[in-house]
Amino acid sequence: MPEADANREPSPPRPWSMLRTFHVAVDWCEPLVEWIIRICGWSAILFVFAIFFFVFREGSEMLLGGLDLKEFFTSPNWRPDSVVRPQYGILALLAGTISVTGLAMLIAVPLGLGAAVYVAEFAGPRSKETLKVVIELLAAIPSVVWGFIGYMVLGPIIIWATGAPVGINVLNGGIILALMSVPIIVSVSEDALRAVPDSYREAALALGASRWEIVSRVLFPAAKNGLLAAVLLGVGRAIGETMAVLMATGHAVQIPHSLLDPVRTLTATIAAELGETVSGEEHYGVLFVIGIVLFAIAFVVNLTADLVVKGIRGEKHD
Amino acid sequence: MSEPATSERIEICLHTRDLSLWYGNFQALRNVTLNVKKGLVTGLIGPSGCGKTTLLRCFNRINERYGNVTTTGEISILGKNIYDANVSLSELRKTVGMVFQRPNPLPISIYRNVLFGIRVHTRRRDLNRSQRDALVESSLREVDLWDDVKDKLRMKATRLTLEQQQKLCIARLLPLKPRVILMDEPCSALDAEGTEKIESLLETLREKYTVVIVTHNMAQARRASDECIFMLLGEVVEHGETSQVFFNPQHEKTEMYIQGRYG
Amino acid sequence: MTEPNSDCLQYFVTGTSEEEPRSSSDADGSREQPFTSLRQALEALGTDTSRTPSSDGNRGGPTVMLTCIARAGASPPPNGTPSHQYFVDPFTPARGKGTEQAPWDSFEVAYAKLTDLARSQQLALRVGDRLEICCREVFTATALEKWKNIKEAIAKYVFLTMALTCFLPVVVILTFLLVKAWPALSVDFLVTNPQNNLTAGGIWAPLIGTFFLVLTSLLVAAPIGILAGVYLNEYASDNWITRIINLAVMNLAGVPSIVHALFGVGAFVHFAYMGRSLLAAACTVAVMTLPVIITSTREALAAVPMSFREACWNMGATRWQTIRTIVLPNSIAGILTGVILQVARAAGETAPILFTGAVLYVPIADAGWEYMVPYGPNDRFMALSYHLFALSTQIRGISDELLYGTAVVLIGLVLLVNSFAIGLRIFLRSRKKW
Repeated sequence: MPEADANREPSPPRPWSMLRTFHVAVDWCEPLVEWIIRICGWSAILFVFAIFFFVFREGSEMLLGGLDLKEFFTSPNWRPDSVVRPQYGILALLAGTISVTGLAMLIAVPLGLGAAVYVAEFAGPRSKETLKVVIELLAAIPSVVWGFIGYMVLGPIIIWATGAPVGINVLNGGIILALMSVPIIVSVSEDALRAVPDSYREAALALGASRWEIVSRVLFPAAKNGLLAAVLLGVGRAIGETMAVLMATGHAVQIPHSLLDPVRTLTATIAAELGETVSGEEHYGVLFVIGIVLFAIAFVVNLTADLVVKGIRGEKHD
Repeated sequence: MSEPATSERIEICLHTRDLSLWYGNFQALRNVTLNVKKGLVTGLIGPSGCGKTTLLRCFNRINERYGNVTTTGEISILGKNIYDANVSLSELRKTVGMVFQRPNPLPISIYRNVLFGIRVHTRRRDLNRSQRDALVESSLREVDLWDDVKDKLRMKATRLTLEQQQKLCIARLLPLKPRVILMDEPCSALDAEGTEKIESLLETLREKYTVVIVTHNMAQARRASDECIFMLLGEVVEHGETSQVFFNPQHEKTEMYIQGRYG
Repeated sequence: MTEPNSDCLQYFVTGTSEEEPRSSSDADGSREQPFTSLRQALEALGTDTSRTPSSDGNRGGPTVMLTCIARAGASPPPNGTPSHQYFVDPFTPARGKGTEQAPWDSFEVAYAKLTDLARSQQLALRVGDRLEICCREVFTATALEKWKNIKEAIAKYVFLTMALTCFLPVVVILTFLLVKAWPALSVDFLVTNPQNNLTAGGIWAPLIGTFFLVLTSLLVAAPIGILAGVYLNEYASDNWITRIINLAVMNLAGVPSIVHALFGVGAFVHFAYMGRSLLAAACTVAVMTLPVIITSTREALAAVPMSFREACWNMGATRWQTIRTIVLPNSIAGILTGVILQVARAAGETAPILFTGAVLYVPIADAGWEYMVPYGPNDRFMALSYHLFALSTQIRGISDELLYGTAVVLIGLVLLVNSFAIGLRIFLRSRKKW
């Protein structure tokens, strides 16, 4: 440093030097801060286990003792309020969940994959941005609103179009769930298609392939794991949906024989009946057992989706 | 059909005239005019960013993938201006094949990789099983890969070594009977041994195909090419026989580049 | 199309292919001395190399046309589509059959094959027929490719239709809702409490309830979520604990909302003795929004280039100092966007609050402090999402516009907050300096 500095005006304290003083003062804080951060990080595991623990706790009495599991899974008779002999068979509820989810996926998967292909490969850059924003907004519509739409808007349409006595049924729930699942299927599929390395596209293009040939012969095979994961996530969303199906599928606990039959799903049953039960009652406990079943299904579907996605990452490293 | 003109035209395979290209506002090629002779290996050399790859990618019009490219001027391949309205890109790319810097086999089996190009251009029923097998074998033999992979044709192509992948990328072009093969620094991702193998492959490809190879490696240009084109800042500075360009360059800039004054 | 004609080699034939070639050496294929049979013509052309067009040339090459006339010197029929058309393409990869899609690869081959066809009598020319052998112009589309282009156009429109089917019905429905709700929408509607057994009035009580619910859950979820994201991206090494945490985050995100409600009842309402209250509901909602806040924080942090951190470490800064001064400020945009999106979600969810604190009706004051802050942490409360549910399914005698109005306000709120977050993300992304 040149000696001429002694003649200069003292410069105002620079921010960095102020920070340094501050740093020294709070250096002992840092390990504490890091521990807080670490605990927050572990909180995710904590909450997952907590969810399982508390749901299990409330349902354990029935699950481990009072409930005849065979009857639970195989009997279509759900009569928790019966004074004589309450029956807790969820077969009809399972049928409700499966039928509504199945119909929803039948509609949503082709539509969603097709829309994803369009957005990823055929749309120009501006339409692409617009469509992606629209998808995000659609995904944000709350499920109670979807239920409202099913109950108030789609119900009368179904009655008018098919002459059914009631408008809330498998068809209604299926359509509503399909519209709800499409955004997630589209966005995950579109990510999967975009993740295919561009070098493949360029190679196929340099050999003279057309856009559709690139999509069908290169992208679909390359992205099939991601596309499968998208479908699984859509299924997961549909199975776990509560309010929309509660309002759109009706209240009849029965195995449906046609699309126009009202049904009730597992999720809707909990939502409809928990309010009327008291902690400690049999009915209360069984509802928690249903919760455990739902948790298990969601866990399996999500795990599969994650493994399927990891499948591509594993292959890529080869 | 005057005979002398035809034979002259047969000699020239690729011809450009006043070709200029802009990426948005940046001009990457300036009035490039050159004639590439048929049946030779022509090297494109020059420092980074001089436009060699851009020029190469014009020949099969794959530059048009990116939206903001504007071109003026003319490129004629085999006598036809490839910017004509009735030119089909698919047919152009059948005859003008490209090998990329980083080997890019498709994530399917080796067998299917070799056949991918030709299956794009022929109907399924026009190629029966035995014809397909024969094509795969002949193409892989031509690139000296057959012995290595003949037992593993069903294996996924991405599991080959880099040099084998690059050979596969060349083999992929052969069933289409291209007239021109464009190579964009095909050895830059390979090690010395791999480079040597690809260069010896170039020797066998020489007569049958017209090869244009972009290379950063001057020694490779000297070894492998018959003629050389030196480019600088989007312009063609010199074009002549390799030995002449390297040992008796006409332009000062060429000489400076050869001597390594700049890279 | 004058060029092909000028490049066209015309020959004439009389008679059919059945006749044996007469050894008439005068026939040279011109109109005055036509070939006497198809086979003679083909053999003459095939052997006479001066008549074989050079098909190895650069351009498409000429066309060879054989026209059948009644007798020598007769006028040929007017030009029209040839009755027999064969193609030669020296660049074809496949051994073809002479069709446009699979041409022969040279004129020699063409002549040989046609001679075979004539000999086996599969090919015959009648008077007025034309047989054309033409060279395909290089780089022009084959019939196969034209067909493929059609397929591609169809595919594009099919996919476009699919994309529109996903979105248009919803847009239509939302417009319908807006139209039906229009009479009720006003500032009054928003600031008046529900009256007359919820069949009249406005939605202030549920609206303010949702506000406090979201605020409280945000105060719980945001710090934990952001710090957890910081941990996972900045501190955690790639060991089995981290993998389990990642798995847990992903599973937490996939838990059905009703199971969150059950958890809330089990953990907060009963175990923690919060009872059915705003606090219990807020905690339940917080656990629900936690995983997405964690994930979006991680993504925002991961987007900050590693080189920034390395530059700081090289100067001697500790990890936390780096995070605090460089990483967090540069990723705050993404983090904020993630949090805001979860705010919108929290406002719209119903299931988690069904049994943990939201109720059908709580009478609150119409003015004053109680009006602005009606619910304490231990109070049951009204929420907009639950309000909509209850009004639709449990209350009779409510006017359509009130019902649709409630729905529209809820949708509007959620979409507004989402749009704001998306807009923020786009704006900040465009301002990014790296």
